Amino acid sequence: MGGARSPGGSPPLPLRSREAFEAYRAAVTGRPRPRVVLRVCGDTGCLAAGAEAVLEALRREAAALAGDGIEVRRVGCPGFCSRGPVVIIDREGEPPVFCQGVEPVHADALVGQALTPGGVVPDLVFSDEEGRALPRLDEVPFFTRQTRVALRDCGLIDPTDIDAFIARDGYLALVKALFEMSPDDVLDAVERSGLRGRGGGGFPTGAKWRLMAAQPQRPKYVVCNADEGDPGAFMDRGILEGDPHAVIEGMLIGAYAMGASEGVVYCRAEYPLAIARLRTAIGQATALGLLGDDVLGTGFSFGLRVKEGAGAFVCGEETALIASVEGRRGMPRPRPPYPAVSGLRGKPTTINNVETWANVAPIVLRGPEWFRTLGTPGSPGTKVFSLAGKLRNTGLVEVPMGVTLRDLVFGVGGGMTAGRRFKAVQMGGPSGGCLGPAHLDLPVDYDSLKGAGAIMGSGGVIVLDETACMVDLARFFLRFTQSESCGKCVPCRLGTKRMLEILERITAGEAEPDDLDRLERLARTVARTSLCGLGQTAPNPVLSTLRHFRREYEEHVFDRRCRAGACRALAKAPCTNACPAGVDTPSYVALVAAGRPDEALAVHLERNPFPSVCGRVCHHPCEVMCRRGDLDAPVAIAAVKRFMADVTAARRASAPARVTRPQQVAVVGGGPAGLTCAYHLALAGFPVTVFEAEAALGGMLRYGIPPFRLPRDVLEREIEAVVDLGLTVRTGLRLGRDFTLDGLFGEGFAAVFVAVGAERAAPLGVENDAAPGVMPALDLLRAANRGESVAVGRRVVVVGGGSVAMDAARTALRLQAAAGKAGDVTVVYRRSRAEMPAHEWEVREAEEEGVRLVFLTAPTRVLLGEGGRVRGLECLRVELGEVQPDGRRRPRPLPGSEHVVECDTVVAATGLAVDTRLFDGVLDLDPDGTVVVDQRTGATSRRGVFAGGDAVRGPATVVEAIGDGQRAAFAIEEYLTGRAGRAAELAARQRLRRVPRAEAVGAGAARAVPSCLDPRQRLAGFAEVVAGLDEGAARAEAARCLRCDLDG
Amino acid sequence: MPRRPRSGDEAAAAAAATVDLTAVREIVAGFEEPASDLVTVLQRVQDRYGYLPAPVLEEVARCAGVPPSRVYGVATFYAQFSTVPTGRHKVRVCQGTACHVRGGEEVLRAVQRELGIAPGETTPDLAFGLETVACLGACSLAPVMTVDGRVFARMNAGRVPAVLATVAPSPGQGQGSDAGPPGEGQGGEGGEG
Repeated sequence: MGGARSPGGSPPLPLRSREAFEAYRAAVTGRPRPRVVLRVCGDTGCLAAGAEAVLEALRREAAALAGDGIEVRRVGCPGFCSRGPVVIIDREGEPPVFCQGVEPVHADALVGQALTPGGVVPDLVFSDEEGRALPRLDEVPFFTRQTRVALRDCGLIDPTDIDAFIARDGYLALVKALFEMSPDDVLDAVERSGLRGRGGGGFPTGAKWRLMAAQPQRPKYVVCNADEGDPGAFMDRGILEGDPHAVIEGMLIGAYAMGASEGVVYCRAEYPLAIARLRTAIGQATALGLLGDDVLGTGFSFGLRVKEGAGAFVCGEETALIASVEGRRGMPRPRPPYPAVSGLRGKPTTINNVETWANVAPIVLRGPEWFRTLGTPGSPGTKVFSLAGKLRNTGLVEVPMGVTLRDLVFGVGGGMTAGRRFKAVQMGGPSGGCLGPAHLDLPVDYDSLKGAGAIMGSGGVIVLDETACMVDLARFFLRFTQSESCGKCVPCRLGTKRMLEILERITAGEAEPDDLDRLERLARTVARTSLCGLGQTAPNPVLSTLRHFRREYEEHVFDRRCRAGACRALAKAPCTNACPAGVDTPSYVALVAAGRPDEALAVHLERNPFPSVCGRVCHHPCEVMCRRGDLDAPVAIAAVKRFMADVTAARRASAPARVTRPQQVAVVGGGPAGLTCAYHLALAGFPVTVFEAEAALGGMLRYGIPPFRLPRDVLEREIEAVVDLGLTVRTGLRLGRDFTLDGLFGEGFAAVFVAVGAERAAPLGVENDAAPGVMPALDLLRAANRGESVAVGRRVVVVGGGSVAMDAARTALRLQAAAGKAGDVTVVYRRSRAEMPAHEWEVREAEEEGVRLVFLTAPTRVLLGEGGRVRGLECLRVELGEVQPDGRRRPRPLPGSEHVVECDTVVAATGLAVDTRLFDGVLDLDPDGTVVVDQRTGATSRRGVFAGGDAVRGPATVVEAIGDGQRAAFAIEEYLTGRAGRAAELAARQRLRRVPRAEAVGAGAARAVPSCLDPRQRLAGFAEVVAGLDEGAARAEAARCLRCDLDG
Repeated sequence: MPRRPRSGDEAAAAAAATVDLTAVREIVAGFEEPASDLVTVLQRVQDRYGYLPAPVLEEVARCAGVPPSRVYGVATFYAQFSTVPTGRHKVRVCQGTACHVRGGEEVLRAVQRELGIAPGETTPDLAFGLETVACLGACSLAPVMTVDGRVFARMNAGRVPAVLATVAPSPGQGQGSDAGPPGEGQGGEGGEG
């Protein structure tokens, strides 16, 4: 322990002159250094992960192996909390080595390797997203992107050792201020540095100090606000636990500049370790003569005390904090007078946040000009953030002001966990706001964030993925601020209560239609009229989510739906909520686990008649939302479904449904949307006729998806089961050519569901894009999937990055193989891999088969050779520019980067659109040509006509089409009978169903990975690539389900 | 508002009737200006008594020379103070933002199920007191809970029974201290137990 012992040959304590301090410092820095230092994080986070035992084990090993050659040092937080316990190896003349997840069992190997030049322990090495091992600290992206000023010593020194602080230039700034600068010089330096309050307000620190310095009254006080009450913030804790002297030195300098003689650190009681370390540090500094009377013999005196908070968020507000320090209820009072004029005990008082104080010494020591080289002109310096939420890398980080949110989230934070997508970032806690993907390239500084509806706040950054509900989050913060409202002023006391009630109604699915307006009005009133910062900012989480995520509020209010599955009253389980078809996933998964696949199938068929199809080609949003993904990996729901459907296929009943209704319904389009609609209508008792333009039913399932992903017999079987309900099927009839919507009503149909898909290929849009040898991807797929022979060349280029592009490329490879050609298929995509709309597994399977992928490349023209035949595709390189509203970055071609990709066939997979000629003047269309419908019912602008699937969405997924078909069927039933018959019955059945928890066989097991055909065998035909699970594997996988539906 | 005391609590009344007030006098005497250090005074007193029964509050008021209403006002304002007996083992479940988005609510529900009490309550045998806390500042390890100051990281509902079992409720033990873990020894081998 550091203590205040006097190092050998150093002056007596307390130190009473500059020379005495310098002699002390020389003695400290002159001590021999050990060859190897093991730095062990001793911060709350790593301690919780078991750092104390690691420290002891390392000390034992080190003593046994190396004697004095190695020092095991307890240090403050290096920041990378999610990887704790963290140990860093410092070897003389070598870059530091970062070790993560260290346990006591590693002590032996770690000490052994630490003593070996260049030695690392492979088990403890950090590896990046691509699996590259990065042992050196200066290679780990989490650290390389940081600039540390306030955290300069955190993770480097023993925070309980003042000598370690002094050896790293600690208290040198104080010496400089006391002996070389007048108080006014110090004020000037802080003013010119442009430092702004790091507690969240961003008020210029220099101006605040100047105001206080001008006050004639004595005594004056300086206060450090360490009442870090924002949930999700731990910057102050990190600094106090890791480098308490940095704060003390800053306060000493401030007190000198402003003429204060006493100081208080007001720290929340929830931080016992921070308080203990601060007290130790104050004791040491006092013993050295750096604190207390007559500091270093200059006549300047400053006493510092620690006051523990007692658990009240409002005490972060400065006037409430003062009341609390004075031993009263922590309630704010109106300002002015400002504390600089009348604060603690009615005397001039300056209150700054922990991080602000920690910035003072470097500014004085290195000068304001240096400080201004960091950050932006309006917000100089750095900012400490606590990164938390659904990120790969979480912890404490310090970056220059002005970095983008993208740098913070994806650069430092390493991106999202569990394969989910970024949804929003919450900044500034209960006073702050949420920003979505469109704001990722916003520079992080006080003014930019404010403009976007968020605030810098104290630095809490919570990153959210798709599993977070923005309405629930607003409710969460309101519940917090409402319970922490001190009750003094009416707008805050009553307003937050009323706001919370509205939010609770919304999340409970009991909202009234005008609740959103009422909420917004109330929020603005509370913000405008509350007495202190708590009430003035409490509405921010509500207002910012209303601004950026209004659609989600509307879904809760009008559709009674929470897309994230977080609002319990609106969700049976997150997976069920994520499913566009609303399948009761936990129930059928549990039934599979229990060995009851037939009952599981029955549950599935309530909502979705295509379990075998979806078990193979669904993009399974259920798995993305699966809470098991937060533990290890999501349940392989699609694979479980496929097993269930395949094993029961032969037994699936196919009796005709009983017709109980007089009204005939027409379904136009026999794809997944149309067939699902027909299925539900038939089961509701309606006679249904399906009109299909092609020769056979199935739509994109048949003509778009190749058999190697969806075998034809599986598809036939499930289509047949639907038709067998008693549908009338009329194939070869095309809307607009063979019949019209008016005609259908004339024929006596009472309602029509339109699901004609989006099959019109967008042309490539470059010179010569109609030449022979250029073909739309869908034409290629359609012909190949029909079994027709298609001539593809020796070198095929597919343009596009979606599922259709992947399917076309893989089909082309197989066609080349069938024609005895060597496989040569290149996919050209204008964005990067991360932006590809195709699913990750589709891309992976394509690459395994030999498809070449070229990114950031856009075609400019098709080059024609002899006889007008394609000889190549001229392309430009592309860079990604600013972010578009959809969160993707706009591709920008680089002039002069023209190059030619040689080929003889070009396949255009650049998008599909609805054939608008079908509906011109009949139905309202959006500018992009899709049919406008009521989101909840699928009703079009024409009475009795409903629509769904790709015709409404543009190219979308199978399960969304199935969901649309189901929704329209329910709406049509209600339209024709005036009652929600089948919809209400299914909803009730689903709500009441409670499949008991099965014996958790293999619940701790890893996620099942279905086997795949060897890539070399795949190209020999169109055989299915991915195999199903066997019974044992499927049941074990199903048993991994956490059963969120039973929870609570 | 921070937690209010439960009224009409017979256990509290019974315990309060026999309180020895000498410690209150000693503690208050240790302060130069107890009135302006009232929050700290009450923290010390609660450390000693485990909670703040009415006779203790009145004695603080008398010794500090302030009206009892002011002492009572402070004692009921801050979440840290309790005017009813609290459990020997303090279970705190973090409901901060990071914990919330990583399933903190499910952990809390599991603790409630296991102990049969709601936040702010104490089990009838006074073995466990349950509190929620707005943030423990261990957001990187969310969701977290603490038992007697020991931090348990990356919790899930399934682990709750095992975590609670780490402290065997024994009636002989004195009132739990509110001072947090002593010095540097926090956490110990907590974590992934």
